[in-house]
Amino acid sequence: MPDLFLAMMKEEWRIHSTIFGSLGFALFPAVVAFFAFLGSLTLPLFRDALPYAAVALLAQILFLLMGVMVGSFGLMGREFMNRRFGQASLVAYASRSLPVSERRIFAAFLVKDTVYYILLYVLPFAVGFAAATPFISLDPAWGPLAFVSLTLAFLMGLSIVCFLSTLYAHSVRLLTGTVVVLGVLALAALRLGAITVSTVLPPYAFFLDPGPGPLALALLLILVPSAVSVLFVTVEYPDRTKRFNNSLDPLAERLRALGSAHFIAKDALDLLRSEGGAGKVIFSFLLPIGLIWVCLQVLIRFIPGIDPLVVFAVLLGVISATIYNWLTEFDSFTSYAFLPVEVSEVIDSKLKSYALLGLLPVAVLALAATSGGAGAFLPALAAYLSVSAYTLAVTVYLTGLHPNVMLYSAGVFLRYLLAISPALLLLIFASILDPAYAFGSLLLIVPAALLLSRGRTKWQAWEMPGY
Amino acid sequence: MIEATELTKNYGNVTAVNRVSFSVAEGELFGLLGPNGSGKTTMIRMLTGQIPPTSGSARVMGLDAADDPIGVRGLVGIIPEQETPPSFLTAEEYLHFVASIRNLDSIDERCDRWFDLLEFGDKRDVLCKDLSRGTRQKLMFSQAFLHEPKLALIDEPLINLDPIMQRTVKDFLQEYVHNGGTVFFSTHILEIAEEICDRIGIIHNGRLLHSGPIEDLTGSGRHLESFFLDLVRGDTGA
Repeated sequence: MPDLFLAMMKEEWRIHSTIFGSLGFALFPAVVAFFAFLGSLTLPLFRDALPYAAVALLAQILFLLMGVMVGSFGLMGREFMNRRFGQASLVAYASRSLPVSERRIFAAFLVKDTVYYILLYVLPFAVGFAAATPFISLDPAWGPLAFVSLTLAFLMGLSIVCFLSTLYAHSVRLLTGTVVVLGVLALAALRLGAITVSTVLPPYAFFLDPGPGPLALALLLILVPSAVSVLFVTVEYPDRTKRFNNSLDPLAERLRALGSAHFIAKDALDLLRSEGGAGKVIFSFLLPIGLIWVCLQVLIRFIPGIDPLVVFAVLLGVISATIYNWLTEFDSFTSYAFLPVEVSEVIDSKLKSYALLGLLPVAVLALAATSGGAGAFLPALAAYLSVSAYTLAVTVYLTGLHPNVMLYSAGVFLRYLLAISPALLLLIFASILDPAYAFGSLLLIVPAALLLSRGRTKWQAWEMPGY
Repeated sequence: MIEATELTKNYGNVTAVNRVSFSVAEGELFGLLGPNGSGKTTMIRMLTGQIPPTSGSARVMGLDAADDPIGVRGLVGIIPEQETPPSFLTAEEYLHFVASIRNLDSIDERCDRWFDLLEFGDKRDVLCKDLSRGTRQKLMFSQAFLHEPKLALIDEPLINLDPIMQRTVKDFLQEYVHNGGTVFFSTHILEIAEEICDRIGIIHNGRLLHSGPIEDLTGSGRHLESFFLDLVRGDTGA
């Protein structure tokens, strides 16, 4: 097991470091720490509007979500082996050729991802925060405490998704049944008044009041689902033959008016046929979005005057840009390099696919509007559309057809954060003054168009060097 | 059909192809032979505009491969070294996808012809990721000839195919050339070259050591294998 773990760690390092250099990747945690440090320094400025307890809750939810997203992206049960290992010669594929059980590989993979992401995100974040505590008159002990509690929150998200994805890998009905039972139990507990933020999120309770109770509950919620996931892991290798009628042409026919119809149709089939299918959307998009909406409902108690729908729209715009990551996940320009296809044509087709899938977030926004804040729907819609377009343009400019990999380069990630954060913060604060200011976000369309235009040229040169 | 002049490709300090010049006439079946890592794939990638040369030039069907790579790829058929059809399209969908990129008509007829010739019609509705390497090779072969190009550039054409299918493909290539088509292919399997090529080139360490009709060898009673080994070993020892 240690050998397997170390081999996987080396492999993960090399996957990233060979793409943008060891230093570029090694500096990624430093960038996270730097931004956590800067962000922490600003906390006293907003203390009246945003009490520390709310910030702590926000951070806990952020890392819980990160755990959910990491888990859903990397460990979708069947998707886990098929997508991550089925098409690449990775160590985790070794159970085919070496005397290593799938369970051991899965366990090693889980431990590797845990250590890897804690080193990549949680530790640097906690270090950045700890380094800022002397400057903002906070107890330095909050640094280590933040590290422990955020690690617990991250692991909770990861283990819950692992558990659900293992159920999914066995049977969709089993997953549905479990979710329904848990939902009924949660509703019953809510009625009985037994649900509080602290009981739902024990790491948060542990941060506020470090003691054995919340710690034990958090560990229980991490270890039990993880153990069940490892014990009952099921792996279906990609040698199961799947057969489909030709859906490409009928789909392309319907999309003909958009141009690049066969490329868009291919994107759709990639998404639908890759393991996880709709489950992928639920786990890595709708679930975090739902949690953000719930979180905002809590936050508005702390920040009077804030319009949750506009803030939600802004965050929705950022998260929806990750749809582009799905669209590029199964594509590589090497598949087109021997055909008369320009890089820009592939990028353009991805943008069209993105625009079509962008209807899903709009529907989510409309749904959110019906549950409160319908009056701010139009400015919220403007904010969503412009932030989504701008974040997408920044992603395309910085990462081309490789967002799933390139964003882990420290330099690229830093530029991404510097390009996105000021615009978002300005937009959120402006909308606190008056939701109508969110219409100002439409100005972002101009730099978005510029970035997309330059990104197409830049990545044409990158994919076809010398041309 | 192909005119390579002093083609050179450097990757950092490594010279993958070193001042190689040769030409391939219409109706020829030209085999580029060489050991692993000798520069064969780099050569095909330069000829098809997938990578630009460091120096020198290549004209393919009248177009400069570096100046108009898309034009070249539009005209020729290419089978790359690694078969990379999209994972989540079926074999049939992939051919339709390529046909749409090349703006072809009568797509079903074109596809059926290849499914029949290479005997993989029973796999037409299987996702590419679930196809065996041999079937994927057949699929890549089909996509390269779907638009009936006048020139095909093929990297290791038979490497994943069983002996029966190798025979089918060899027969097809010979018939294709007989009907006026031109083939440039790379391989390190000498028997294939000896059997079907009109002319061969031998490349080693990026340098073209020999270029000439296969008849020159067979006519003089020499076997390609011994000629190749003498040439390459001599170059290695030089």
